[in-house]
Amino acid sequence: MKLRIAIIGCGKIADQHVQAAHRIGNCEIVAVCDREKLMAEQLAERFKISGVFGDAEEMLKQFSPDVVHITTPPLGHFPLAKLCLEHGSNVYLEKPFTVTAAEAQELVALAEQKNLRLTAGHNYQFTLEMLEMRRLVASGFLGGAAVHLESHWAYDLSDPTYVSPILGSKTHWVRQLPGQLFHNLISHSTARLAEFLDDDVMVSAQAHQSVRMKNLGGQEVQDELRVLLRDGKGTTAFLCFSTQIKPGLNSFRICGPKNSLLVENGSGSLLLNRAGSHKSYLTYFLPPLKAARQHLRNARVNIVDFLRGRLHQDSGMKELIEQFYVSIRQKNAPPIPYREIVLTARIMDEIFAQIKPEDSAT
Amino acid sequence: MSVESIVTPADKILITGSNGFIGTRALENLLARGFFNLRCFVRPSSKLEKLQKILAQFPAAKNVEIVAGDLLSREDCRRAAKDVAVIVHLAAGFDKSFAGAFMNSALATRNLLDAFLELGKPRRFVNVSSFAVYSNFKMERHALLDENCPLETEPQARNDAYGFGKLKQEQLVRDYGAQRGLKWVILRPGMVYGPGKSDLSGRIGINTFGFFIHLGGRNEMPMTFVDNCADAIVLAALKPGVDGEIFNVVDDERWTSKEFLAARKETKNFFSVWLPYPLMKFGCGLWENFSKKRHGQLPPVFNRRRCAAEWGGNTFSNEKLHKLLGWSPKIKTVDAMKLFLAQYK
Ligand SMILES: NC(=O)c1ccc[n+]([C@@H]2O[C@H](COP(=O)([O-])OP(=O)(O)OC[C@H]3O[C@@H](n4cnc5c(N)ncnc54)[C@H](OP(=O)(O)O)[C@@H]3O)[C@@H](O)[C@H]2O)c1
Repeated sequence: MKLRIAIIGCGKIADQHVQAAHRIGNCEIVAVCDREKLMAEQLAERFKISGVFGDAEEMLKQFSPDVVHITTPPLGHFPLAKLCLEHGSNVYLEKPFTVTAAEAQELVALAEQKNLRLTAGHNYQFTLEMLEMRRLVASGFLGGAAVHLESHWAYDLSDPTYVSPILGSKTHWVRQLPGQLFHNLISHSTARLAEFLDDDVMVSAQAHQSVRMKNLGGQEVQDELRVLLRDGKGTTAFLCFSTQIKPGLNSFRICGPKNSLLVENGSGSLLLNRAGSHKSYLTYFLPPLKAARQHLRNARVNIVDFLRGRLHQDSGMKELIEQFYVSIRQKNAPPIPYREIVLTARIMDEIFAQIKPEDSAT
Repeated sequence: MSVESIVTPADKILITGSNGFIGTRALENLLARGFFNLRCFVRPSSKLEKLQKILAQFPAAKNVEIVAGDLLSREDCRRAAKDVAVIVHLAAGFDKSFAGAFMNSALATRNLLDAFLELGKPRRFVNVSSFAVYSNFKMERHALLDENCPLETEPQARNDAYGFGKLKQEQLVRDYGAQRGLKWVILRPGMVYGPGKSDLSGRIGINTFGFFIHLGGRNEMPMTFVDNCADAIVLAALKPGVDGEIFNVVDDERWTSKEFLAARKETKNFFSVWLPYPLMKFGCGLWENFSKKRHGQLPPVFNRRRCAAEWGGNTFSNEKLHKLLGWSPKIKTVDAMKLFLAQYK
């Protein structure tokens, strides 16, 4: 069955969705929609898409797409996703899934009631190195349940094209989100923690504004975030979002009772850290050599994956979309469990409640 | 400096992108011509030192308005365009994504045009475009590229988001002219150089692989010094009888890429490798094919269309500028180069 796809929200990220869908096959983008119709037109023209709309409901009525990708700013996610589900379409919702966890829960309930599928744009969970990490964890590599997790995410302020408009206007949509800059940027790093935590999570968050952000005229916008988490089983986690750490860290560490894994997303590497002790001075010689061997292995794997066409700058998005479409066709569970989507939203809610700057509390 | 003009100093002129590389020079040019009823549109996050410095040079400029906003907001456009007779529109989108470039070029222009026609006293809209809108893909190498040359029909294949935005922006302006009676002039500057812009144009070469690859060879550069370019823009705003005209903006004296690079290296030498055009063309062809075959696994940053446009080489003319606007470059290239190169010292 060829899936008929539509896109709502024709901004920067929409291009990536169109290109990923083109690489998948057995699906066709039939319509695009943006409240600002010129935006829909420019996307449709470049990718030769026939349906162009300025109104989502009209598009849903005329085209009844099998799947709608919602790539609008987050404040529109909940009402639009609800509308799509009510019209019988499955929904891929960009990150952050919704503005609040309550909205996320409501969407999940509605999808289940309508026997439709939903997924969140947590595409970094589906890069090649993350898939391999998940495979190793499932095979018991850690030697038991995860003891501790660490998720680092960096954002570079040196390119002003993203941050300048945000700082320039108090009414910019990012400034309207409860968690402001963080709200738009920590979904990926939170989602990978939520995957390995149970629902009973305690959160302790701290945030501040960097000097750099202050000099950029950041007003109340914070850009440094540190969070400690602990779940009901005693698994602990640390989340770090930073605009200042250089070179930017983008990594995920998962430590088990026996072995640990480190995913370096920036370089698409996976490092296996096995327990073991070495006699005398060998402890200074062998572990670095073993680590060197692993780095070489990562380089080899990445080169081979590139040559075979598997490694793509957008591997994660293509993989997630593909798995999502398969789940729709085969009526299976969607690629990201709803529990994880809702828990990600709950953790984010809690973080933003704790770090709310004084002046925005009113 | 007085020229015959469609506006008097009492009429309001709006400059968008007024805090930018060319915008600040255009502002200075207008002030020097005695136009003080100006409104400078800037984004709220912009650092305004350069602009303030220029205003400080003209005591009579104390009433120049600075309006902070974003052209993506219709409300901000209304504030900007109210009572304005002429708009010198320099703001543009340089975003690498197509949607981003389209927004800040085309969408912003649409908002501005609507506000201008609604609340302004519209006499002329000066749209600053770019050479990026042209395609020389089907032209002979070194053929004359003038205002009648074909426009790019496949900016997506050329992987040129900026050019796409500028093409759509021009199209909008022409449509508003045809459908709503907007009076417009379009300027297409070539390679604008001057103090405040230190990167060498991609037409000369690229740094993509960590060292400088010289690609322009002996191609003539469509160079225009920033003050000369600003002068052409201001003349296009003032001169009667040029509505609906399009002007390429290049200076009289145009160096080859090799000469330009040599002059730049005299201030501080750096390593560079020259790649002859046939080799680059071959490489771009291979890259484009691989990119297509692998569905964008390598983004099509190098492709045949870009290769022709940036490194194929053309000859240029500013005859129309001279003839219709009475423009001639005030700053000669030797002096312009001195001012340009001083920033590296
Ligand atoms: N430089 C060249 O070689 C060259 C060649 C041909 C044509 N041009 C054209 O000449 C014009 C000026 O270029 P430039 O080199 O002077 O560029 P620039 O220094 O980057 O100036 C562009 C200005 O546009 C402003 N801007 C962008 N988006 C805006 C928005 N949504 N609302 C309000 N303002 C916005 C920017 O504001 P911020 O300062 O806040 O970012 C900036 O001040 C452009 O139209 C460009 O396409 C330039």
